[in-house]
Amino acid sequence: MRTLEMEFEQEQLKQMKAIHLKVGILSNIEPRLLQNAYVAYNQANPGYERVGLHIESVDIKVKCEVCTHVTHVKNYRFLCENCGRPTKNIIQGEEMLIHKVEFED
Amino acid sequence: MCEKSTTGQAVEKSTKAPRGTVACENTNINLLKANDYVADVIRKEMAKHQTLLINVTSSAGSGKTTLMQKTAERLKDKLNMAVMVGDLETERDAVRIRETGIQALQIVTGGICHLESQMIHQVLDQFDLANIDLLFIENVGNLVCPASFDLGEDYRVTLIATTEGDDKPKKYPRMFLTSDLMLVSKSDLLPHLPFSVDAVTKDAREVNHELEVIQISSLTDEGIDAWCDWLVKKVVAKKEGKNVLV
Repeated sequence: MRTLEMEFEQEQLKQMKAIHLKVGILSNIEPRLLQNAYVAYNQANPGYERVGLHIESVDIKVKCEVCTHVTHVKNYRFLCENCGRPTKNIIQGEEMLIHKVEFED
Repeated sequence: MCEKSTTGQAVEKSTKAPRGTVACENTNINLLKANDYVADVIRKEMAKHQTLLINVTSSAGSGKTTLMQKTAERLKDKLNMAVMVGDLETERDAVRIRETGIQALQIVTGGICHLESQMIHQVLDQFDLANIDLLFIENVGNLVCPASFDLGEDYRVTLIATTEGDDKPKKYPRMFLTSDLMLVSKSDLLPHLPFSVDAVTKDAREVNHELEVIQISSLTDEGIDAWCDWLVKKVVAKKEGKNVLV
């Protein structure tokens, strides 16, 4: 909420309806626990109770630097499924983003 | 914009959003933006003074402080070094490290399970960076949260003790993914434990194929030469202005 308060004007924040987060598997954020924390936050800090929180969990994908193939990483094996080379070129899965904010019309 | 109605009559489409809908702002604001900004400030400060900054992470009780003491004993006459050490409470670790004769500063997080770049930046002026070759950050013992926080370090070193079990890398993948060196600590206990260095290395390298591995014991000195050589090499590279940023 502090980040949003820095990004948006007070008037906009009053119109805020929903927050969409995108969290990668590697971010160590557990969506269910964050939802619980959000409820607790709203109880302690009145003002955003009507603002919904939507959390999208994102899987890990790597892009091979050699063959450019995109692999969906399973079991934390960071290997290109096409050419078998190890890679750390993560293109998805590390996100901790406020992806979208919805405002009342 | 027009389209034909079912009656064949052209109708004007409203450009206004229907009532009850919402305007969206696609933001993609990084939740760690503030941390990453300060981490870059620290990185620039370290580059200015050519001070090598190492972030040491592990679970609680894997031997980070003992390793800091051992490293200080070995290197303090060759290098100017200092340590900042994070803990939830007490100044015990800093006291232990100071006993070796080097500067050590305790950062008490007051319950926070990791160090953030702002905490490091706040205490940087306590160090005479122009005269420090090697600065360690001994992070809070935790393999989860510290993995997400860039502290402006040149290298991240993660300890895994033989007493912890060799299945940890894939349980805590982000920590091993973001580390440059894994130190398998308490190797003196290997004869007594069902811990395989090969298995832990294989597990960790499936996550991070570039990860270097050194087996150490701060009690028997196994691997301490290799660890100190690794550090000295990195300090020299930093002094020579080579790009050592991860």
